[in-house]
Amino acid sequence: MNDAQTLAVEVVGIEQVTPLIKHFKLAAVGGGNLPAFSGGSHIIVVMQGAERVHRNPYSLLGSPQQLDTYEIGVRRMEESRGGSHFMHDGVVVGSRLDIAHPVNLFGLDKIARKHLLIAGGIGITPFLAQLEDLHGGAVPYELHYSVRSAEHAAFLERLRRREGERLHMYYDSEGQLIPFEGLLASQPLGTHVYVCGPAGMINHVISTARSCGWPDSHIHWEQFSAPPVGDAFEVFLARSKISVHVPHDQSLLESIEAAGVEVPYLCRGGVCGFCHTRVLELDGELVHNDHFLSDADKAKGSSIMPCVSRARCKRLVLDL
Amino acid sequence: MLVTGIKSKPVYAPLQADMRGRYHLMLGMGVGAAPLLRVIDEMQSAAAGTLKNTRVLYVPDGGDTGAATGQVSAAPEIERFTAAAVADVQAFRGTPALLEEFRSTLGKSLMGTRLYVAGPESFIGLVMKIALEFNLNKDEIRAEECGTLARRVYCIHCRATTETVRTNIVQCIACDRWLLVRDHYSRRLAAYMGVMVDAEAPGELPPLKEVFL
Repeated sequence: MNDAQTLAVEVVGIEQVTPLIKHFKLAAVGGGNLPAFSGGSHIIVVMQGAERVHRNPYSLLGSPQQLDTYEIGVRRMEESRGGSHFMHDGVVVGSRLDIAHPVNLFGLDKIARKHLLIAGGIGITPFLAQLEDLHGGAVPYELHYSVRSAEHAAFLERLRRREGERLHMYYDSEGQLIPFEGLLASQPLGTHVYVCGPAGMINHVISTARSCGWPDSHIHWEQFSAPPVGDAFEVFLARSKISVHVPHDQSLLESIEAAGVEVPYLCRGGVCGFCHTRVLELDGELVHNDHFLSDADKAKGSSIMPCVSRARCKRLVLDL
Repeated sequence: MLVTGIKSKPVYAPLQADMRGRYHLMLGMGVGAAPLLRVIDEMQSAAAGTLKNTRVLYVPDGGDTGAATGQVSAAPEIERFTAAAVADVQAFRGTPALLEEFRSTLGKSLMGTRLYVAGPESFIGLVMKIALEFNLNKDEIRAEECGTLARRVYCIHCRATTETVRTNIVQCIACDRWLLVRDHYSRRLAAYMGVMVDAEAPGELPPLKEVFL
């Protein structure tokens, strides 16, 4: 994906659904249907900020059967690098945005015998679209949704109305915790678990599932983490023959894009492997923050995922 | 026509215990007892408690896909499994009875179960076919091929399956066509594909050879 393939959309609705989450509705400029997508897909929203361009991934939460608008939920991040504040403070009904075509890196397993969905906070968004596909189908499923407190439970009424007893709510404020061990130890063969939420929750679900004997092919997760900050460094792009400065609070990918060099990407979260780039020279060490490369590949240091990973070095040369 | 060098031909590896699993379900036929006993030994030395969650379903040699049903109790292999401290061992007179029990077991099993299958490829295939219906993936199943290489052959013309095929060409049990036995394997059908060998030149058959022994 690169910016040449974006779609122009107009914001046609904004609703503050919790103190921290805004719900946006986007329609194609000029009307008509937007491209089809499947539950679990995300889009990248390209935001022309005052100082830099932000490209943030957001899950599509509307029904895959309704393509006249796309719906996204944006949580205001306390330590925003700018993207979520831009969406919350700068975007109004009528604003125009560019978005990248939907991509699904968090699809439901089509031959699963049961789906176990686990959401934490804003992590509910991809499940809202998946539930549209699951609802009324023959495959059993249940949703376990954990939030800080009742006022932070985004889209709760919609879920209660549609899902009834398949919805299990947990409120931190009441000291309620999802019983991960009990849940994961008692699922019938052929179940798939999907988790989206804070990093701690995702890691806990993965490790608990593994300790209950789950094979990795039945464990699915998605997290859109902002690229971690780090020391500033310089990178030389061998094919483009230019040097690029990477500031401490900007990702390697963003810096390269700001210099006018396009790198293919899909998730911008260190998961999909699309921005995989060869390292030609390095006089320090790479700081791998992705979930794509194996530990062995990370140790080898011959490639990097510039969307989330950085370097601690004087000189880094990339095959770009 | 491409007969060998086809990617769908299954590849097997020696069985190894997967201690990440919580429950272990073993299925064996004939000489398949030996690899299973090897895994049981491996489990016992890694963590003896594992055997409490281990179950063995077994068909002694000669137990074929015929009509024999029900359980047997006197097979010498059973004593070997029991002696190895596996609590739950069942032996069956034939593959259909074993598969019936296997299917009902999977229906009651939980996530965290690992399958170990050892025996002739035709037996492994029938087990895998059912495992697939329960959405078990490659990382939950291990299979070791031992015993006869005789194949189940699916007639692509009349859809009948001919069992225990040992030759390069075979006459379909249902439509009598002579079929060329290819390495093209269907996991869903648990059979190799048989294609009419003399369609272009009726009556011209390659020499019959025993190749799957």
